[in-house]
Amino acid sequence: MSALRKWLDIRTGLAEPVRTSAAGHRVPRDLVLAFYTLRMVAFVAIVVQIITGIVLLFYYVPQHQYAFKSVQVIMDQVPYGWLFRLIHVVGSNLLVTVVLLHMTTAFFLGSYKKPHEFTWVAGAFLLLTVMALCLSGYLLPWSQLSYWAITVLTDVPTAFPVVGKFITQALRGVSGPVSDATLRRFFALHVGLLPLLLILLLVLHDGVPAHLRYRRRRGGEPVISTEAVAVALYFIAMFSIIAFFPGLFLPHDAHVPADPLKTPLHIRPEWYFRAPYEILKLIPSKFLGIAVQLVLVAVFICWPYLDRSRERNILKRPLMLAVFLATITAWIVLTIRGTY
Amino acid sequence: MSAGMERRGFLKILTSILGLSALGTLAYPLFRYIFFVKTASTGATVTVPVAGLPEGSAKDLVVGDTPAIIIHKPTGYIVFSRVCTHLGCLVNYHKDRQLLICPCHNGIYDLDGNVVSGPPPRPLPQFPFKVVGDKIEIG
Repeated sequence: MSALRKWLDIRTGLAEPVRTSAAGHRVPRDLVLAFYTLRMVAFVAIVVQIITGIVLLFYYVPQHQYAFKSVQVIMDQVPYGWLFRLIHVVGSNLLVTVVLLHMTTAFFLGSYKKPHEFTWVAGAFLLLTVMALCLSGYLLPWSQLSYWAITVLTDVPTAFPVVGKFITQALRGVSGPVSDATLRRFFALHVGLLPLLLILLLVLHDGVPAHLRYRRRRGGEPVISTEAVAVALYFIAMFSIIAFFPGLFLPHDAHVPADPLKTPLHIRPEWYFRAPYEILKLIPSKFLGIAVQLVLVAVFICWPYLDRSRERNILKRPLMLAVFLATITAWIVLTIRGTY
Repeated sequence: MSAGMERRGFLKILTSILGLSALGTLAYPLFRYIFFVKTASTGATVTVPVAGLPEGSAKDLVVGDTPAIIIHKPTGYIVFSRVCTHLGCLVNYHKDRQLLICPCHNGIYDLDGNVVSGPPPRPLPQFPFKVVGDKIEIG
């Protein structure tokens, strides 16, 4: 094994980068190790999505006449098709959870502060890309749930004058309602452009600013064993959901083929979009409802450049702590409101 | 040496211009390719028999690519797009309440297509129609 490793290292030179990025990852002793495991879990979750996504491509047909049926074939006829689809579906929700938690802890710990601003910005775009991947993948089963979720989403830009209608039509690929052209477009985004973008952002987020990270500092706690535990917990969570709550992310309308002439009652998006969806309900002006959310996203991305305080400890900044708690509370309340 | 450097500088600029021009030449077709939008069918005239539409009733139909609804009010017929002007869900006719209601964000329209409550920014668009004998021609 050692000889093989040496043989490989002479030809690739990968041993040192692997050692420093994984086994050599160290964090300061005074910080909670669990906070630093989420990046590895996110990485594993992305790999799981890529592998299961490729597997699903063997049987999925991206045409509106066949898309729903091909997903049913994967679920009912292809051996273990249900398993790979459920891993992909549950995995996408876990990925969003992990990335959200990672960003939340980064905010709480002030990890976005100088010289890590760029890491935060890349991470914010990474979160948005993960959400775009979830949305583009949402349409592919061509169910009632997916059809109407994407109808609402692609209608959002029409709130903006001049360019709004053009953006909606460009997303749909047609000047009318969501159709086969939209399905093919979203398929290309989901399996082509967005995964490439995700990998690029991963490199920017984790690779380029690596020299700034704690791992290069001397001392500190090695984090690899804690990361292994966190990854194990991720898989335990995934297979617990698949075993005990297989329908958690596949409600009734996910099993009904898309009907462009019937909007289902009580339509609602996935849990991570329920807060924005509720804001659209609460703010009477469509333009205002969407504009407010775009401003919030811009603030989220640019946060390291807006918060210029040198103090990292949020517990010593009561106003920031209040903003943090208020944001989290508002998000949870809106999500619950959108659920019931 | 100085002349050599000048030549190198010139070649750099020339290569940059040529490279950017080549990219620009490709960018335009790429933009047009990606943002090509098929025009939705405006559709031929849709015909509905008068007999199948007693007063107070409504019928869902599709005009071109647009889901629509024809309602027989006491004052006559009216034809709307069913596409909610808020976020594109389809409104449903509630005969008991004499309203059109969107299931997504609870946008409510009266039977003239005007917004009664909720977030829709505009009334429902109407389709032109004419009654010809025992049929209604829409579109």
